[in-house]
Amino acid sequence: MAEPIDCAEAGARLQDYLKRELTPELAAEVRDHLVRCRGCFGHAQFEENLLHLMEARARRETCPSALRERIRGLLRAEADRT
Amino acid sequence: MAEPSTASVRSFDDEALPHLDALYRVALRLTGEAAQAEDLVQDTMLKAYRSWRQYRPGTNAKGWLLTILRNTFINSYRRRKLEPVAMDLELIEPHALYRAVESADPEGSFFGRLVDEKVLEAVDALPPDFREVLVLSDMEGMRYAEIAEALQVPVGTVKSRLFRARRLLQAQLYSYAVEMGYIKSREDTDG
Repeated sequence: MAEPIDCAEAGARLQDYLKRELTPELAAEVRDHLVRCRGCFGHAQFEENLLHLMEARARRETCPSALRERIRGLLRAEADRT
Repeated sequence: MAEPSTASVRSFDDEALPHLDALYRVALRLTGEAAQAEDLVQDTMLKAYRSWRQYRPGTNAKGWLLTILRNTFINSYRRRKLEPVAMDLELIEPHALYRAVESADPEGSFFGRLVDEKVLEAVDALPPDFREVLVLSDMEGMRYAEIAEALQVPVGTVKSRLFRARRLLQAQLYSYAVEMGYIKSREDTDG
């Protein structure tokens, strides 16, 4: 069993942890720390809330249907040229 | 040069068109306005179609399209946009927003009050190199390796730009929250 990681190490790994880019072992160490440390837990939750907010806002934007149709038309025209 | 055949038109439709929403969103954040974003997406799709033979089926179509979009943006759109004044990264305190919110807003109402338009404004105000990484990662959910491929930079660069982008974003939201009276500024709290 490895030594538990401290706040500095957990903080350094937080970005990769939230992006799910850590190996399962490294992620488990961060998770163990977050369970034990209220400060780091709050910080992680804050970052996650902000990420959710950004993602949700981004998803509301979609390609306008007029543009979609125009592109389809242009692609047809390109195909017909050959 | 051989043009794409009818069969490849169909596969282009299947593989590329599903990414139009993502391409449009990224174009919107890069150009900052709808009309240019539409032109950029259209140019991107035509270029992608013409070089469709270079795409290997089943690989990452979204990343491939975003690379074309980004190159097109840099070559013919970037100079049209008036970039916001670059922010001084040295002035940004780590986790300033989190610490302030933690002490001033224990009930966590901050996110309920934070208008998401403000978040978008803050994203748009980021310097371009940081903005594009943040948009691809945090708005489009792309992985480090995919972003690195699309931007043609090392993964380490993606990580550090994302880290700084998030700090810059939080610093802006912090100023906004103080201005709106959602949280007290550090100076006020400390005395």
